Amino acid sequence: MEFAASDREWKKGSAELLILSLVEARPRHGYEISKLIEQKSEGKLSFHVASLYPLLYRLEKRGWLRGRWVEKAGQRRRRYYRLTHKGRRVLASQQQGWQQFVDAVSRITSGVAGAENA
Amino acid sequence: MPEWKQEILRRLAPLKLTAAREAEIAEEIAQHVEDRYQELLSAGKSEEEAQRLAMQEISAGDLLARNLRPLEKPMPRATVPMGGGRREFWGGLAQDIRYGLRMLGKSPGFAAVAILTLALGIGANTAIFSLIDGVMLRTMPVKDSSQIVMFRWQGHHFRVNGHYSSFGDCFNGDSHGDRVGCSFPIPLIQQFRSHVNAFSDVTAFAGPDGLKLRAKNLVGNVAGEIVDGNYFSTLGVNAIIGRTIVPSDDSLNASPVAVLSYAFWQSVFGGRRDVLGQTIELNDVPFTIVGVAEPSFTYLTPGKTQELWLPMHIFPRLQVSWGQNIDTLGNWWLVVLGRMKPGFSVEQAQAAATVIFRNVVLHAESPMAKAADNPRIVLLRAQDGLTGSRGSYAQQLYVLMIAVGLILLIACANVAGLLLARGTSRQREMAVRLALGAGRRRIWRQLLTESVMLSVVGGLLGILFAYWCVRVIVSFLASTSSRGFPFTITPDWRVLLFVLGASVLTGIFFGLAPAFRSTRIDLTPSLKDTVASAAGRTRRVNVGGLLVIAQVGLSVVVVIGAGLLVRTLENLRNMNIGFDTRNLLLFDVDPTLLGYQQTQVQSLYRDLADRIAAMPGVLSVSYSSEALVSGSLWGSTVTLIGHPDSVYTDMLAVGPNFLQTMKIPLLQGRSFTPADFAQTEQANATGTRVAPSDQPATNVAPAPVLVNREFAHEYLANRNPIGALINPRGASGTHGGGTGGTEAADFQIVGVIGDTKYSDLRRTVHPEICVPVVTGRGSFEVRTAANPTALISLARDTVKEVNADLEAFDFRTQSEQIEELLWQERLVALMSSVFGVLALVLACIGLYGLLAYEVSRRTREIGIRMALGAQRRNVLRLVVGQGIALAIVGAAVGIGVALGVTRYLKSMLYGIHANDPATMIGVAILLVLVALAACYIPARRATRVDPMVALRYE
Repeated sequence: MEFAASDREWKKGSAELLILSLVEARPRHGYEISKLIEQKSEGKLSFHVASLYPLLYRLEKRGWLRGRWVEKAGQRRRRYYRLTHKGRRVLASQQQGWQQFVDAVSRITSGVAGAENA
Repeated sequence: MPEWKQEILRRLAPLKLTAAREAEIAEEIAQHVEDRYQELLSAGKSEEEAQRLAMQEISAGDLLARNLRPLEKPMPRATVPMGGGRREFWGGLAQDIRYGLRMLGKSPGFAAVAILTLALGIGANTAIFSLIDGVMLRTMPVKDSSQIVMFRWQGHHFRVNGHYSSFGDCFNGDSHGDRVGCSFPIPLIQQFRSHVNAFSDVTAFAGPDGLKLRAKNLVGNVAGEIVDGNYFSTLGVNAIIGRTIVPSDDSLNASPVAVLSYAFWQSVFGGRRDVLGQTIELNDVPFTIVGVAEPSFTYLTPGKTQELWLPMHIFPRLQVSWGQNIDTLGNWWLVVLGRMKPGFSVEQAQAAATVIFRNVVLHAESPMAKAADNPRIVLLRAQDGLTGSRGSYAQQLYVLMIAVGLILLIACANVAGLLLARGTSRQREMAVRLALGAGRRRIWRQLLTESVMLSVVGGLLGILFAYWCVRVIVSFLASTSSRGFPFTITPDWRVLLFVLGASVLTGIFFGLAPAFRSTRIDLTPSLKDTVASAAGRTRRVNVGGLLVIAQVGLSVVVVIGAGLLVRTLENLRNMNIGFDTRNLLLFDVDPTLLGYQQTQVQSLYRDLADRIAAMPGVLSVSYSSEALVSGSLWGSTVTLIGHPDSVYTDMLAVGPNFLQTMKIPLLQGRSFTPADFAQTEQANATGTRVAPSDQPATNVAPAPVLVNREFAHEYLANRNPIGALINPRGASGTHGGGTGGTEAADFQIVGVIGDTKYSDLRRTVHPEICVPVVTGRGSFEVRTAANPTALISLARDTVKEVNADLEAFDFRTQSEQIEELLWQERLVALMSSVFGVLALVLACIGLYGLLAYEVSRRTREIGIRMALGAQRRNVLRLVVGQGIALAIVGAAVGIGVALGVTRYLKSMLYGIHANDPATMIGVAILLVLVALAACYIPARRATRVDPMVALRYE
């Protein structure tokens, strides 16, 4: 339980960063984003529909992402999200912040034996 | 494939999103779940297993809704689906209004005609209502007017001993078998004041009387109200500068003071503050101006304006003939108002005042009533009791209000007809809406919103029309009556409320039928068919026809009313009033204002008459105590010697050549001779008054008098009137103790003259005595050979030649005076004619509209008829026949209604029966002719239908 709770806290803080990073290279749709998170974290992280889509909509509302329905031949239409200029700036600053945070944490935790598995 | 979407929508439902947003989210998430499902399948899971796992994505309780809630706006409830419930009322209303504006914009012709029609209807109503508002509904401009009551005496038989006068503030006369009046003598008022403790204050007033004003560089006549010392304090009226009249001003010995009205101060004294303390002369008595009343106090009795107020007890010093003995119980001349003390009821006050009143009138030296007559005091709200000239306008205004009310109904029927025709062309629209699930009530509301919008716009335009109307009416009134129009007509909240109410009600009223009708349609054919054929199947024509019949009927009622009133005016103008009204110049002089005594007045008048007679173009000159048909009247009770009872007669004092100047025929006996005038003058000089007085005559020969034919016929039917003796002191019991008979007579009849109208045209000819002496203010009659107005300045100069201080005033011709007397009849005839024409025009527009619509609807039918050999005249007959049939039915209905309602006009009519057949038939014929004209254009259009075009039409 304790672990699960801290897992959720952690995800909440970094989820925005994860999503923004995943659409940085090219527009992706919701399922693709959720699959990438799962794959890249080797199953350690996953998003349910109930939290992924509200998060996408919130980012869209803030003007960091822009969703667009795209219809490809032979497929049903899907909604692709791409990074806006504003989103790109936010991503850069978040990445930087995250890096500094990780560095700081690792400076403190390195050498501490039996560090909790974050 | 499993139905993901339904499951997702179920979870989204609590968010109440807009339909579009909801669908978008559901689609996106369903796509996601489907992808997951497919993935699980390809990973080798069974369908059931794959479905279960995929569903897990969205099954986490209400997490989806909870996470979305802060992000997504709930659906704005403004967009109402057709058939929505009551809660969406206001949101839907805005939508209705927007939609209505668009629809009206699409048919500007229809909108313009409808709005104009409504503007005329609502505007005419608003105009008349604002007159009624200004004349009848304004509250008295005094403090807490509801606390002020007016005293009225009432009794089955009641006879005042002495002098009774009234200035038209309130009703005096007979009412429901009782004599009623509102003038009281000072001693009685003093008792009311000291013995009835339900009043915090009691005041009395009379007037206004015309007084001669002389101030610095200023001479003129002013209207002065005579008031007691409590007047201003009782009414709660203050001075804007200086002070008001106080009780200490109101005594015979006090130095005379006057308070000016605000308007008079502004107009004559330029609103200067140094008027305080200034001295003005009123009838040669110096008065000090002590104050100006506050601006809001413009009147007390509706229609009566005062220029200044004077304390009552100064009045005897002003040498006004009736202003003597004002303190006696025999002089009933004051209107009494009281302010109720809080906590006392009107009934209590009434009972207390009645005790005092009964005591005085039953136990006076000669009792004025018997106990069985139930003499009593009735207290009326001053607002209701002080009717003033309100009463004389009331009936006319109500008649006009009814006329414009009918016009509004016609306008409603007219616009309803237009809406019905338009409803046909919108039938498809309605059918589509109904088919898409709109509720009927929702559509009614949409249509009613549109019609109320029409009428509100019409109402706004109507205000402009009303404003113009009121200006025309008021300037008409001001120009016809020498007094001007004594009311201020300004739109106030009542008028605006009226317009709003009238507009909304009108809109609902005329919109209702078309609205109900338009939802009673059979959907399938309406959706499939074209407009024309769909309309053909409904019974719309009948409703349209009924509306036209209603319009024609109502307009017939208005026109018949107007016809009766116009013919009344004609009758009054053309009646034989007993003398020649042409080329007769009238003017008044009042030498008593300059202090002339009775004998001096007579020689002055003789001198003046001689000088005017010598003017070029003058045929004959005379003078009299009252000008005939000028509204004034002098009457008296006299005793015929040998006749048991005293009788009423009109009295007229005349100068030499009166019969000749007025061209009144002498029927029997002789006319006045110079000797007659010399004799009565002599009698006057020796103190024997020819005019009725309380003093018996001394030993002089009776004065020769003339009586009119009515007098001879009524009172001396069985004997030769010549030589008959008359005692001018009315009630035989009041002196000498005799029962009428043998005591000395003052008058002897020497001739009988033709009957003439006296005070006004409507009053029947009463018995009349002419006496050969004029002692006070006089009216001169100048018979001229040509246009009498050319002589005015010459006559004025001639008066000045006799005495430079003497003013001749009120120059007018006899015909002008009659016209002025007839101003109410003229106003009502004019207004009702205007409204009659308006009603006719509206009804014609209605008829034209219906026929034009019918012709366009039946174009195909007419085409077929013509293709099958119908002649143009057949087609013409078809259309005109339909129109005329409607007009005839409408006229018949209208005459039927008129037969029932014109009797309410009875008291305004003269010389014509309320159900005058000639007027009714005349109006019916006029209407059918006008209807023919209205039919003509659509009928011609029908005859020009080209069969080929018409058949290709569909």
